[in-house]
Amino acid sequence: MIKKRALANRDIAACILLLIAIIAWFRADIFGHELLAQISILAIFAMSLDLLTGYTGLVSLGHAAFYGVGAYATAGLAALAGWPMWAVMPTAMLLSALLAVFAGVFAVRLVGVFFIMITLAIGEMVHAFAFRSRVFGGDDGLGGVPRINFDAVGINLLDPAQFSLFTLIVAALVYFVAAHLVDSPFGRVLVGIHQNESRMRALGCPVRHYKLAAFVLAASFAGLAGSLAAQHNNFVSPELLTWTTSGEALIVVIIGGIGSLVGPAAGAAVFVMLAHHLSGITDYWMFFMGLFFVAVVLFGGDGLYGLIGRMRRALTHARR
Amino acid sequence: MRSWYVAWIAGLGLAAVAQAEETIKIGVVLPYSGVYASLGGDITDGMQLAFDLYGSEIAGRKIVLITEDSEVKPNVGLTKTKKLVFQDKVDLLVGPVASNVAGAMRDFVHNAKIPLIIPNAGNNLLTGEKCSPWVIRTSFSNDQINRVMGPWLYEQGHRTLYLMAADYSAGHQMMEAVRRGFTEAGGEIVGEEYPPLRETKDFAPYLAKVKAIRPDALYVFFAGGLAIQFVKQYQDFGLKGEIPLTGAGWLTSPLFLPAQGTAATGFIGALNYVPTIDSEENRAFQAAFSEKHQRTASEFTVQGFDTGRLIVEALKLTSGKTADKAALVEAIHRVHFTSPRGPFRIDPATNNVIQDIYIFEMRQTGYDIRHVVIDKIADVQDPPNGCKM
Repeated sequence: MIKKRALANRDIAACILLLIAIIAWFRADIFGHELLAQISILAIFAMSLDLLTGYTGLVSLGHAAFYGVGAYATAGLAALAGWPMWAVMPTAMLLSALLAVFAGVFAVRLVGVFFIMITLAIGEMVHAFAFRSRVFGGDDGLGGVPRINFDAVGINLLDPAQFSLFTLIVAALVYFVAAHLVDSPFGRVLVGIHQNESRMRALGCPVRHYKLAAFVLAASFAGLAGSLAAQHNNFVSPELLTWTTSGEALIVVIIGGIGSLVGPAAGAAVFVMLAHHLSGITDYWMFFMGLFFVAVVLFGGDGLYGLIGRMRRALTHARR
Repeated sequence: MRSWYVAWIAGLGLAAVAQAEETIKIGVVLPYSGVYASLGGDITDGMQLAFDLYGSEIAGRKIVLITEDSEVKPNVGLTKTKKLVFQDKVDLLVGPVASNVAGAMRDFVHNAKIPLIIPNAGNNLLTGEKCSPWVIRTSFSNDQINRVMGPWLYEQGHRTLYLMAADYSAGHQMMEAVRRGFTEAGGEIVGEEYPPLRETKDFAPYLAKVKAIRPDALYVFFAGGLAIQFVKQYQDFGLKGEIPLTGAGWLTSPLFLPAQGTAATGFIGALNYVPTIDSEENRAFQAAFSEKHQRTASEFTVQGFDTGRLIVEALKLTSGKTADKAALVEAIHRVHFTSPRGPFRIDPATNNVIQDIYIFEMRQTGYDIRHVVIDKIADVQDPPNGCKM
């Protein structure tokens, strides 16, 4: 029924990025694997935000709420309630999606700056809850979060190398699913809403339902990223839920190239590596990160993905 | 050309290995940016002074500090810790300042079996229920500072107490410690308030309740901007001189005192160190520190100083050997010395410090507002609190 997709430039770029990640995985030392896991998790989080911001055109400053719910659900169910991890991860995603349904019913009625403000408010509410929650250790956070167990098939995820490979595979799967989503008729409608909402409404499209669906989908992927982050650090704290976490994800999306999926994934790699190397040189690394961000926005605002695309076009023109 | 290049790289590798054997690497995870940057700076300066005074080379191995900024973010602190252990291959770790960062680091160092010496974070659980043979604390537990104040205030004739602290884990843990001591002695808690940590600007609604209830004393814990605002508003509200102000001693830390001014006088607090302790060791320490840095050493500096000295003394006991981590921790347990804050040792049962707690009053002499020590509780030791090594 659905036509087989033509291999888009985006998919080729994604394959190249995955190849680079795999080469990096083979060459990395233990700490390199830690960074790779961090990049993969941030990439999932950024791609989920890109679904919402890049494709549907809804800029959210509360996306960390869903990331945090995924993380806290994982910590609560696994560390406190003792659930097995194979049940914990889908439940964590489901809880993030559930929160998104409740929040989204109100949020999708608003547009522009009002949407930004209500997502910010939702994020702060969840943060305040975690900050005061005795059960989850309040601001001190909660440790002892286990990782998913694949011992039965001889995979030990406590080993940083195997865990980073696991997160990389999950990130690749998330890209695969998200790419199919945005290329499907459903995804085309989302892009249509982004480009001209009134026209879509005039065509008889139930715009709010589509927005809500995008909101919930993005939230469940964010919940997955949060669950992985909790497992990676074996620890959760309200810091995961602060609005700066949402802001950071937005920066990653913009650095990588908004509305390109693969761009935000590459942006995650650039962001983590830059933060790691800059903070080793100077305590004022955020200043230089800010300069870099300003430079990216000034050079067209379509991020690394757009930059590479333009360079390629310029090269092919030059060859002719 | 190529073979020369390979030889050069190999040489670099060899040099790195040789150096790794020579130096003792200490990984330091402290905040050097953000709200706790001054604490991170004080602790590092204190540690450096200890190495200057007690030896920065043990059995031919030089002590090298590798510092990383925790940014007061748990995940950043944990990533930096992993970098220090996996990439720099440090022999032991020092840090952090904040309890949430300590919580994130705890599981990792416990599993990696790398000794971590905490020079500040006071969460009771770190040397209680969540204690680890590899996590040693040279600073205090929230309980340790406040527990002694309950019975002490009762002895001073106070029968009713009102509690107030910022609404976060440390605030609640400290108030809990006072409540237990005070009610066990026979006193009564007549009210308590927990204003939000960051949003509170105006204490008037809380102070009005205190004024209406009229407790024998008010017991508080605030730090940073809240400490400054609270002390000033307490005076402006007309409670000063009416209801005695007592609390955890950070309220009038040397860091906040300039902004508080004379409003701080009359406060009675408990802390593990004040700059005015009258002892040979403290005078020598303050003199050495102010000669190097032209400022008064704070309680945070002392915590860093004692951390540095503990490391040096323990390494002397192991003749500079760091490969056997269990032997290193065992040496840490054997170290005893007299610190600027009094007798210092680590309790092997919990890995928390055993130390004197000073009860002081803020008094004005001339233009100076000083901490005047009015009492001392010697050798305060935490009960195990559910700690099983």
